Amino acid sequence: MSAQDYFQWTEDLFDPDNAFFKPEALKGVRVLELCTRVFGPVTADLLADFGAEVIKIELPGVGDLMRYVAPRGFFWQNISPAFTHMNHNKLHVAIDIRRPEGGDLLKRLVARSDVLIENFRPGTMDRWGVGYRQLSEVNPRLVYQANSGFGQWSAYKDRPSYDATSQAMSGFSAITGFQGRTPLKIGVWIGDYTGALFATLGILGALHFRKRTGKGQLIDVSQGESLIRSLDWTWLYVHLTGQERRRSGNRDVSISPSGIFPCREGFVALAALDDNQFQGLCRAMNQADLAEDPRFKTLAARLGEENNPALYAIVAEWTARLNPEDVERLADRHGFAAHRVASVRDHYNDPHLRHRGAVQEFEDPLYGRVVEYGPGPKLSASPGRMKGIAKPVGFHNDHIFRNILNLGPDEIHELKEKRVIGAWDDRPGAKPPADWDGAKGTFF
Amino acid sequence: MTAESQTTTWFDWAREQSDPKQAATKPEALDDLLVIDASFGNIGGLVCSSILAEMGARVIRVEPPGGDIARRFSPFGIEHAGTGLGYLAEGRNKHHITLNLADPEGQKLFTGLAGRADILIETYKPGVMDGWSIGYRQLRDLNPRLIYAALYTYGQFGPLSKSGRPGSEISNQAYSGLVYINGEPADDTGAEYTVPTKVGSWYGWYAEGLYAAYGILAALHFREETGRGQMVDVSGAECIMKFIDYNLGWYHMGGQVKERLGNYDPSVFPYTFIQCRDGHTFMAAYNDEAFRTLMEIIERPELADDPRFSSFAYRTQFENEKALQEALEGWSRQHPVDEVIQRVQDVISRKEGRAAAVVTGKVTRPMDSLQEQNWWDRGSFRKVQDPVYGEITLQGPVWKMTESPPRLKWACRPVGADNTFIYSTCLGIGGTALEELKARGIV
Repeated sequence: MSAQDYFQWTEDLFDPDNAFFKPEALKGVRVLELCTRVFGPVTADLLADFGAEVIKIELPGVGDLMRYVAPRGFFWQNISPAFTHMNHNKLHVAIDIRRPEGGDLLKRLVARSDVLIENFRPGTMDRWGVGYRQLSEVNPRLVYQANSGFGQWSAYKDRPSYDATSQAMSGFSAITGFQGRTPLKIGVWIGDYTGALFATLGILGALHFRKRTGKGQLIDVSQGESLIRSLDWTWLYVHLTGQERRRSGNRDVSISPSGIFPCREGFVALAALDDNQFQGLCRAMNQADLAEDPRFKTLAARLGEENNPALYAIVAEWTARLNPEDVERLADRHGFAAHRVASVRDHYNDPHLRHRGAVQEFEDPLYGRVVEYGPGPKLSASPGRMKGIAKPVGFHNDHIFRNILNLGPDEIHELKEKRVIGAWDDRPGAKPPADWDGAKGTFF
Repeated sequence: MTAESQTTTWFDWAREQSDPKQAATKPEALDDLLVIDASFGNIGGLVCSSILAEMGARVIRVEPPGGDIARRFSPFGIEHAGTGLGYLAEGRNKHHITLNLADPEGQKLFTGLAGRADILIETYKPGVMDGWSIGYRQLRDLNPRLIYAALYTYGQFGPLSKSGRPGSEISNQAYSGLVYINGEPADDTGAEYTVPTKVGSWYGWYAEGLYAAYGILAALHFREETGRGQMVDVSGAECIMKFIDYNLGWYHMGGQVKERLGNYDPSVFPYTFIQCRDGHTFMAAYNDEAFRTLMEIIERPELADDPRFSSFAYRTQFENEKALQEALEGWSRQHPVDEVIQRVQDVISRKEGRAAAVVTGKVTRPMDSLQEQNWWDRGSFRKVQDPVYGEITLQGPVWKMTESPPRLKWACRPVGADNTFIYSTCLGIGGTALEELKARGIV
């Protein structure tokens, strides 16, 4: 079948306008999130993207401390953009699970849930009487995901860990950046995100196992170990050669050419993965003879310790005379890989990303029009979708307490009085927009 | 609570139940699944099938008769027993066979495998498999339960999917925004290192592969409920976008662009790497109480009340971050990195709550990471005795699971090493027939 025919078919198969008319992949999976900051919330977010019902349980009042991480102190309608993008599609309830009555409420939720995700210091939930050992007695089918810096029984289990701890200790930073400079702290919370992705994979694997056996289990995932797993050939190389893996700036030492190259304005990623692509690049550069140069003729030759930097320099000299979009156009025509170093401005207006729902504009029931990155993988029959961004602390209390836990008004009142349950404190990050009318965005 | 859990600490219990050394005694999560990995020139596809294979799926890895070009992606072109190190790291637990998918006879054999598979992974440009009549459109008729994952930087639909442009690891990084926000800020020197900087490892492929496995497992859950397979379209670039902290939100809500700041941070500070006498450590203490603790540690308690640093918001002004960085390093440069970390541990062990939130982490080079006994105890590093590749060190599976733990069974196989086994057991093709297919360049 022709290529054009294929794309007509895929456009129809994946049409994002149909997403809400299709079923959800994880519909019926109930997830309890007992998490703060990034590692745990992102894990639950990845499940919520595909339709899991995530109940985010926060402490009454202050809630998740991530609410107060705001770039240059910026809040929008009293919420931080650093908090919204990892808390989509969730139900927000506030229960102090450290208190006995709160622990009881948690157990009642656990009895009716499939997954629990927590990222406290190892052993904390157990000490509170609501760890896996106690909760698995309430619900033996429970998949209990414990996220931490170093793991539940690591030698470093008592050490606090932030994302950059894992970047530092795994070796991830040491191989990023330029030789002779300070190793680079990656500009995003990459240990948290990578750990969250692994945690999600573990949960989904465990759900499949549970379907076959009826058994739940404990899953222990560490940030640092997740980054170690993702460091490609590093460990093989160090062990086999006895050499250190050094930082190589913007040049890949294992594919050539592959790297980030300077342009007249901006920067471009460029790579030729095989000889055909390399010949295409040489044609684009008007230097067809380079493809015949013994230093560059084969991938093995191009990877030579001297040849690779030499080739990088030749390509960089060429790209420096062009703009990124010129290089992209030539890549289309001559068949090598190239893409501009994109900023958020590029994303926001990118017709390709907008068309695919990778950049999605939608109406949040409380905050109005928002623009967020859509679900990662696009599923043809049960696509993910964006229903809303994060909400104030305890915003869905009524729904959870009345509809799911079936508490009566008196019970709710009493628990509120005792501060076992509650809503938001009066501070930006925790509370609704200033002009909130007390009803908008709520449901019951 | 049971008597056992009362007497055993959480840590001992968790270790006893999830130590990877015991993994082989327990069942596997995905051992009812058959996966065909037909990826080519893309380590992301291999990562995806590695994840499924670690959890127990049976993976048939299909390469062209000459082998996958990905076997050549290796630092300085180094090969170990004929295979590059990038491929060797992700060849684990798979049966490696060859098959010429461009040949009609090869396509017929492929449908024989895909017809019974649960999951198929491929990384060709969109429409290539379809043109060979072995795309999802054709295979779904044969096998409606099939989950078909296609990995490509620009995805299977949308304007750029039709561009014909190859995808790549570095394109995934650049398109995602990861490169834009990483690296040292530009300054007056114009030095080569003050540029947007790629992540050192193949994150563009690893993220793509991990996300693909996530899409596949979500689709598997759906299939178990409904009996229906589907197509999973994965762009590594789009996946990493979701990991660029508040990039889109800050721009949409506040009109601000997230820029690269090197080791500084726009939302919390101190949250940085600092230079010590013999190396670097991460150092964070961003809430007010922890910041005061840190100023005590560096023997500059007066700085906690300095108007430049006295609140969260003041500390994250860029000029103040620079001044604070200098104050920290004025102290840390005098001490070895291990002493700096120990000093922090000593002080915070005497503090409570928020005041104890001073967090460190030694910036460790890979060679030193490999010396860290804790990672070995946890199974993060594993020595594998492989019949072909000898003793090699690999990163182990991430999850410690109590009921269906993952495992690392073997490292990799040479090109076509499992042809005899797979073709005879799956398709009934014996030795003579296989030789004939080989002679005609089909396997």
